[in-house]
Amino acid sequence: MKHGLRFDGVAVAGIGMVRFGMFKEIPGAHLARDAGLLALHDAGMTLADVDEAFVGYIQPAPMIGIKAMKELGLTGLPVTHIEDASATGLVAFRDAAWAVSSGRADVAMALCFDKFTDMTGTGGRGAGRDQIDAPILPAAYFALWAQRRMHDRGTTPEQFATIAAKNWNYGAVCPFAHRQSDHVVTPDEVLAARMVAEPLTTMMCCPPDDGAACIILAREDLVRSRQPGRPLVRALASALTSETYSPGHTFVGPVVGPATMTRDTALECYEAASLGPEDVSVAYCHDAFVNEELEYYELLGFCAEGEGEKLVAEGETGPGGRIPFNTDGGLLARGHPGGPTGVAQLHEAVLQLRGDAAGRQVEGARVALAHLVGGGSIATVNLLGVEGVGT
Amino acid sequence: MARVPIEKGFFRVPDDPTEGPRLLGSHCPACDEVFFPRRLVCAKCLHEGTEDVELSPRGRIWTWTYCHVPLFGKKDADVAGYGVAQVDLPEGPRVQSILSGGPDDFAIGMEVEIDLETLRTNSKGDDVVIYRFRPARDGANAGGAAGGGTPAGGGDAS
Repeated sequence: MKHGLRFDGVAVAGIGMVRFGMFKEIPGAHLARDAGLLALHDAGMTLADVDEAFVGYIQPAPMIGIKAMKELGLTGLPVTHIEDASATGLVAFRDAAWAVSSGRADVAMALCFDKFTDMTGTGGRGAGRDQIDAPILPAAYFALWAQRRMHDRGTTPEQFATIAAKNWNYGAVCPFAHRQSDHVVTPDEVLAARMVAEPLTTMMCCPPDDGAACIILAREDLVRSRQPGRPLVRALASALTSETYSPGHTFVGPVVGPATMTRDTALECYEAASLGPEDVSVAYCHDAFVNEELEYYELLGFCAEGEGEKLVAEGETGPGGRIPFNTDGGLLARGHPGGPTGVAQLHEAVLQLRGDAAGRQVEGARVALAHLVGGGSIATVNLLGVEGVGT
Repeated sequence: MARVPIEKGFFRVPDDPTEGPRLLGSHCPACDEVFFPRRLVCAKCLHEGTEDVELSPRGRIWTWTYCHVPLFGKKDADVAGYGVAQVDLPEGPRVQSILSGGPDDFAIGMEVEIDLETLRTNSKGDDVVIYRFRPARDGANAGGAAGGGTPAGGGDAS
């Protein structure tokens, strides 16, 4: 079974996002409205131009997606709700891009929002007092990965801390990042932060966030006519998988499936796009817990298995490196509200491909990769490219 | 005073308080795969109609960590943290569980056995319990677990 989709003639019309943070007093629908309006303005469109919308969130409340869309206007467009845990934003993008690629829509919107400040104590799986998996935190789950890697490969906490410091320092120069340090963060500072689940300190774990982000996809000719003179960014391909059963799967407690899901999903995305990791200029991955990023260097194909630590030591995933990762600070510094996270990755990827990422620009960026895993066992890998790539 | 599971259907709590709990699993008669927790359809071969089994009370630590936050809902507020592990049972399932013991009491590869931990007392006065694993007590770990650990001192919080 193939899980990769290749998009034909689909371009990014507009992007918009609200800087992530804790906005207890602002309704989620208003965050969504603001991100949606920013994306419409960026696209040179109004909601009347949008044929279809996909609204993503992980907050467990009925009807909130359609209610958020109504903040942008009531035009009668079909609205589909999407929830795929942390991967939600990229899945909403995938469906919007496919709606355009398939010809059923000329313009489609992926709008995602979440409010962590509303979610506390609302009984999602793993949050309830009477649930067997309540004591196993996401941080613990990924710390289990880290411990096993340290056991198998001799990886050190200092190597994880080096990646974390890199993402904190990227966040400091990204205006959309939640965490904007006023000083250069060092690996020592990361290691000295409060321990959460060994070896992960608070500075190796993403913050809780509220936020919203939006991306509008459209037929290339429409994008050209609305925003002439702007570099065209195309949606190239997407792969989405849930887990194939293998021994060692844990059914109780947080689970995102074996790390190898990322490798298999990436291969399907590369194949759909007729591209390989050597073509990718900049990458975004699920670094909610920073040891994950090290695993994904290998699983996304940017180095051989067991060579992730070498990539870190040589600075190849930071500024000026061979394959910069998470140039907006990643989930670790830009933030991770849930649904909007993947769209925020795309927001940064589009800025990079347009050449608009001041202070963190990857020179000559031509192809961007966005990857997320989601709780329950989901992985998705997506590729965007500038004009002339993958055609 | 009865002991009631934090959530039904995952483990059996014996009436005899000296007897340990047993995890409730499923065995697929078609492909022989074993699962925890119970499920109707085999996740591997899709056979409909697995058989109920009780799983081994012992397993080996595949990976573990120590969380430096209080265990959710725990009565004993003095305990500042708790261990979490993935434990491989001999029948096959890998189980995520809290650990009973301190940050120096475990190692990858160590043999552990199941026990119960009381999280709190409910409104009827019953103890709400969850399963946990502790170092196996019959010397199975003597010189066994790489990286040390002191199973004999394995802090029984109860």
